[in-house]
Parts: sequence; structure tokens; C-alpha cells
Amino acid sequence: MTRREWIATITAAPLLKAAPAPDAPAAPVSIAKCASYDEDITAKLAAMFDQLGGLERLVRNKTVTVKLNLTGAPSQRVRGIAPALTHYTHPKLVGAAAYLMGRAGAKRVNFVESAWATAGPLEDVMLDAGWNVRSLQSAFSGVEFENTNALGKGKRYARLKVPENPYMYPAYDLNHAYEDTDVFVSMAKLKNHATCGVTLSLKNCFGTIPASIYGDSAGVNEPNESPTDGRSAVGHEGKRQPSKSAPQELHFGVNHDPGYRVPHIVADVVAARPIHLAIIDGVESIAGGEGPWIRGVRIVKPGLLIAGLNPVCTDAVSAAAMGYNPRATRGTAPFQTCDNTLLLAEGHGVGTTDLKRIEVRGVSIEQALYRYDS
Amino acid sequence: MWMRTVRWAAILGFLPLMHASVAEPSDWVPVRWPWQDAKSLELLADSPVNCLLLKSYPAELVSAAADKGLVTLAVLSPGGDLAAAARKALAAKVTGIVLEGDFPEGAAAGVRDAAPGATVIELTSRSRMPLGSKAAVLGTYQGVWPGISLLDDGVKKAGPTGSTWIDTNTGFIRAVRAWGETTLWIANEPTPKTVVTGARYQQVIADAAMSGARWVIALDTDFAARLHGREADALSDWRRMAAMVRYFEQHPEWRHMQESGQLAVVQDPGKGGLLSGGILDMIAVKHTPVRPVPRQQLSPAALSGATMAVNVDGESLTPEQREILRNFTRGGGTLLTGPPGWKDQSHGDTITLDKAELERLNDIWRDVNSMVGRRNLGVRLFNVASMLSNFIASGDGKTAIVHLVNYADYPVEDIAVHFLGDYKHATLITPEGTEKKLEIYQAEDGGGVDIDKVGVCATIRLER
Repeated sequence: MTRREWIATITAAPLLKAAPAPDAPAAPVSIAKCASYDEDITAKLAAMFDQLGGLERLVRNKTVTVKLNLTGAPSQRVRGIAPALTHYTHPKLVGAAAYLMGRAGAKRVNFVESAWATAGPLEDVMLDAGWNVRSLQSAFSGVEFENTNALGKGKRYARLKVPENPYMYPAYDLNHAYEDTDVFVSMAKLKNHATCGVTLSLKNCFGTIPASIYGDSAGVNEPNESPTDGRSAVGHEGKRQPSKSAPQELHFGVNHDPGYRVPHIVADVVAARPIHLAIIDGVESIAGGEGPWIRGVRIVKPGLLIAGLNPVCTDAVSAAAMGYNPRATRGTAPFQTCDNTLLLAEGHGVGTTDLKRIEVRGVSIEQALYRYDS
Repeated sequence: MWMRTVRWAAILGFLPLMHASVAEPSDWVPVRWPWQDAKSLELLADSPVNCLLLKSYPAELVSAAADKGLVTLAVLSPGGDLAAAARKALAAKVTGIVLEGDFPEGAAAGVRDAAPGATVIELTSRSRMPLGSKAAVLGTYQGVWPGISLLDDGVKKAGPTGSTWIDTNTGFIRAVRAWGETTLWIANEPTPKTVVTGARYQQVIADAAMSGARWVIALDTDFAARLHGREADALSDWRRMAAMVRYFEQHPEWRHMQESGQLAVVQDPGKGGLLSGGILDMIAVKHTPVRPVPRQQLSPAALSGATMAVNVDGESLTPEQREILRNFTRGGGTLLTGPPGWKDQSHGDTITLDKAELERLNDIWRDVNSMVGRRNLGVRLFNVASMLSNFIASGDGKTAIVHLVNYADYPVEDIAVHFLGDYKHATLITPEGTEKKLEIYQAEDGGGVDIDKVGVCATIRLER
């Protein structure tokens, strides 16, 4: 099958059991080729933002929170390679975004992540990943960092409600940074995910939920402000409820399948905490899983940057660029053992997965195609 | 018997004269020499290695070694007529004797009494090392093979610290040297029928050297054969090994510096202190500078400068020692004592902990980890998961050294080092010959420097 034929196939979506939601919003997505991090990432990103209508109108005089994708402990490496070249968003992309947002008039840019198994400063995690934090800080005077795995710099947790028909929880208690912001950006890696099929801007937001409340070591009644592990028991497996201080799971005990639970939680979270800008780092990445702890992950170099103003649209285009049908259902790659997060988010009205409705600017999907399942 | 002793003494008495030009035992840089031909000594041209441990000692080899100013030591093992073996070795004009293994009580003393002029070095099990003795060289044949620990399926093993686990002899070396400055040899050999890469040899050399000991270089069979055959790759690895040895030998001042940092671990070397994989190594994997304090040497001076102390086995202390720790806490220090009933146990001739013991040690490790947290207790290192470090300082406190050893098969890039104290100058030194001034920037607790790349080993020298 040629690239053009493949695109025609996934656009027609013959595998779908359900038709695309006709009223789910659509927004343009920009794709740029970027063969390495040594290229002028700032210039490429600036051009992409221009293709999306300009960054200034989105961030001028605004507080911007950027959720990074720093999956797992920074000490865990694929063949010893720096995490930014495999499964973390790259600091050069982070620095470029900070610079451009500062130049576009943003008041503050707060880079956040719920770092693996710690409530310590996010800067420590970045340093442990080999990032030059001072260089990032110098990109723009309003740059800040916060580890959202616990209360962090806030005085209370923000309760963000799922607007309509929540799948898993009626609302989520998150670090204040996700509420105290005008603009929310998800900056993710273009990679697979063992539980969810793909890690893109939507799945990246599973990392907004703090381990202090949703972690294995979360307090029963109150948050544990010193979390020491991940979120398997609450999020993936449903073996326990989050701390009672937070809204509880709606149908606790009914489903323990991570392939069901995690995509549904993610869809809830992105409905509760809307994403205004999705940026996908596909310059260098991994295929076959989200991190070095997944057996058989492979290093890939798609050479792509993807950005969009709607996370579902951006992820749909990204999934297509990875060689997947963004509307594939459970049982079809990359969703062999899980539900499709993109469709679930579409069901919440976050955005459309229908490629026919998404305008792609810059490089076309055919030109960008890099099959992850080679 | 008397005549035999006289003959023996006469032979040994000549030794210091015969080899007056060779260095003192504290300067001997040892290798287990696997070959018997004099031509093999060409491999030591321009090498800092100057001491050959020989299981057999043909006259031609010993003579050629002497001509090159090399020390030769005959290695004797338990069993047979020790005196006869020693006489035979000394008759071959070797410089001294190495007794390797665990000999019956008094065997070593017998050799020394009979040969007062010869150097006799004992390589014993760890538990039989005469800590605090005046031995010219303290040594052991027991050691772990340093490196990142792998599970059977090749996946990196996470230790109790949650970090990548690195097998190391550094905790043991620190514990021994805490008894007082000594020349320490660690003489473990590669596992039989294994092939060791050149990088791994460098790591093993550096693992011992960064804590002030010397690894007795021992070559695996494959490498020895290739090196003897002058294969280009083997020669290249050999030169790199020599460069690593030379790097540390060119800085004898490092060996005289003291373990620094604000965390002291009070532990009995006769119990868990000489184990590998114990509490000292757990702390090392976390890159927290730590000073071992032998329980027997616990004093206010030993805790000087410490802000935290771990008393591993609280029940083993004398009332006076308990009072010292009480005063430490009265002075503002934080003290962590092992859980009630927790006993630091003697381990006989084993040098590592089994799984059950590791889990037991986790009781205290969790508390230590929590107490230390992300505090800077002298130096904090970032992006060093495949590395171990050692933080030492000169007696006057004007110079501090941070050694970094990388146990991965690839270089590590973009390392950050944050240190306490008002250091004015920072210099990066490497075995490859780098000596580069580093820019010091202000960090959270003091100063910081960044290092672009470390191959196997690098050192940061901090000066006030």
C-alpha cells in the first residue's frame, strides 16, 4: 500500500464501529520535519505556531502551564541514552517553547510534571536527566518549574470536574498549577504506550494526577505529601480508591483492566482540564512502549514536530503519522489490548478524530509518515 | 630445624640490598603476572605497574624484572610446606612473599620471624584482615567484581535504593581505611571463563583507586593470551588500563585525603562494615558522601563536621559511646539508630548479603533514605545513575576532591555537581589528560559546576 492509499484508507475509516462525533471540535494541526535536535528547533516551532494562527494571541499577558512528558525515573535509560533522545520531551524543544512564549508576551511559563515517585523539585529530575536547567531559565525571565506529584507550591489541591458523564471519577484533585493558569499546554513525546497504545498529548495528561492522592502510597484519608511510587493500584488496576479527600471512583471494583481504566481516566482528565495547545516531540523517540522498562522498545527517529490547538486533532494526526488509524478500536494496532483514548476523548466532546475534518498545515501526513510498527 | 632457619634468614637478609632501588611497599603498583618469559616484561615499558605477583618465578623472569627495577613477589597458597616454598622463592631472588589465602594461625608470623628483611604481604579473607596493624600492605583476595548489576535476563537490577545497583568494593575500602591510613590491596580476580572488556578493567581499577586502594591487576585468560600475542586491540586496552593506573598514581595526595561530607555511619567492621552491598554501598549508590566511623573508634573528633549520623547497631555500643552520640544530638546533629532489636551481624567469610539479609537491611535503609532526603551533605550529583563517586578533602579543608567513576559501557554526558562551601576554583581532571577550569555557578546550597562528558573516570578538584 502506498502512503497515499494508506491515508485514504484511514480517512475512510472502514474499521470503525462508531461514526465520528459530528459536532466534536476540529482545529488545524501543523507538522514540521526536523531531522535532529541540532537543527534550529526554535525557528521550526515558531513557523508551526504561525501556521496555527500565531502564539501571541494565545499567550500574551497570560500564565502558561506546560505539562512535560518525563515518564519514569531519569535514571532509567534505553541503552544508556539520555532520556530526551528516547522517551522524555527534549530540553531543546522545551527551551524553544519557553523562548517563543516569552517573546510572544507570556507573563509566566510554568513547566510542570508529576515526577516519578517523588515530591522533590522538578529541577532535580531535570538535572538527573542531564538537562541544563540554568539554560532553560535563561530562555525567558518568567520560566518556572513545579513538580505536580503533590501539593507543591500550592496551599490546596485544585478540584477539576469532568463536565459531563464522567467515565471514572466525577472530578480530579490536581496540583494548583493546573488551575492557576490561563493556558494549558501538553508537550508530549511521539511514542507508543504499553497500556494505551500511544503516548501523545492526551495520554501525557495522565501524569497530571498526583501520586500523593492517586499513588500506591497515597494516604487513605488525606494525601501523602511524600509519595514514593506510581499510580498502579489506583489508576491502572483499581485495587484501591484515591485518598478520601478526593472524589472517589464512580464504579469502584467493577473493572480492573488497565487497558480500559487508563484511557478512560485520561479522557476524563483532558475533559476536566482542557488543553489549549498540544506539542508533540517526534524528532527522536522510541517505539514499542513508553519507556525503557518496557521490554523490546526500539529507538526511532521519525524526525517530526507536530503541534495543534486541539489535542484530539493533534493526536489523531500524530497517530496517523505513526502509521496508525486514529479511529481504530480495541483489538487493532496500536490498541490491541486497550480502548482508544482518542475516541474516548472525542466522546467527551474534546475534539474530533476525523482526519477529513482536520486541516494539516506544513508537511502532509503522507510526507510525515513514519510507521512505528515496522 | 635451627640450621634451616639460619639459612633462610641469611637468604632473606640479602634482599633489601639486592633490591635497594625498588620503591617502598606503599608505592608498589601490583599486577598478577600471568607469563613466565622475560620478553613479556616489555609490556610494562612506560607503565606505572612496578610489582609482579608471580605464582612461578623462573630465574630469567625474576632477573629481568630486577634489571628493570621491578618488584617481584612470590605468591604462596595454603597447603604443603610453607617454609620450603618460601625458601625456594627467595632463592630465586624474588623481592618478597605474598601469602594468599587463609593460613593456619601463626603461619605468616613464622615467615616474618624467620625472614625479618623480606616483605611479607598477606592477602586474606576480609574478615581476617588485621585492621589497624602496622602491615606494610593490607590486602584481601576477596572482592566483588565492580559493575552495574544485571539480572539473568540482562535487565538492570534495581537495588534497595531504587536506583540502578552497582556492585562495588568502595564501601569495604572506606571501612578499612577508616581504621587509619593504610596501603590497601584488593586482589580479586575475574570470574573464570569470563571475558572482560577493556572498559570494565578500567572501571575495576578506578573502583578501588577512588577510595584510596589499589586493585591487584588480574587478567582474564582470553585477554592475557591476546595481550601476550601483542594483538592490537589488547595492547590498546592495556595502554588504557595503564593510563588509568597512572592517573591515580600521579596524585598520591588523593590517597592521603579523608572521606568528607556531613554524614557519618558508625558501624562495626567485624560485623557488617566490611561487607559489599551493605549500608555504605547503599548510601554510595545514592551519591551521598559518607564517612564510615568504626564503632571502636567512635569519638567526638570522629564526628567533627558531621550533621547526621547513622548508628547501625545501637545495642552494640558501650555506655561511653552512647554518651558521645547523645552529645552529638545535643549539639544539633541528627542521629538515626537501627530499629530496636536490629543486629548488625557477623558474616564470616562471605562478603555480600543474601536477599533475606538485604530485606532486613532495608529496615534501616528506608530510614536513612528518608533522613538524608535531597539534602546536600557535602556534594550532590545529578545525572549519574551509572556512576559512583567519592568526596574526599585535605586535612586543612582547603582542597576537596570529587571522584566520579562510570560503570556503564558508554560515556555519561551533562553531569551537574552541586557542592557546599565557598570554593573559588574548580578543575576537571581526567585520565585522558584533561585539566580544565570549570565555571562555578551559584546553586541551591553553594556552588555548582557542569561537566560535559565522562568516559570511565573523572575528578573535580575544588579549591578555596
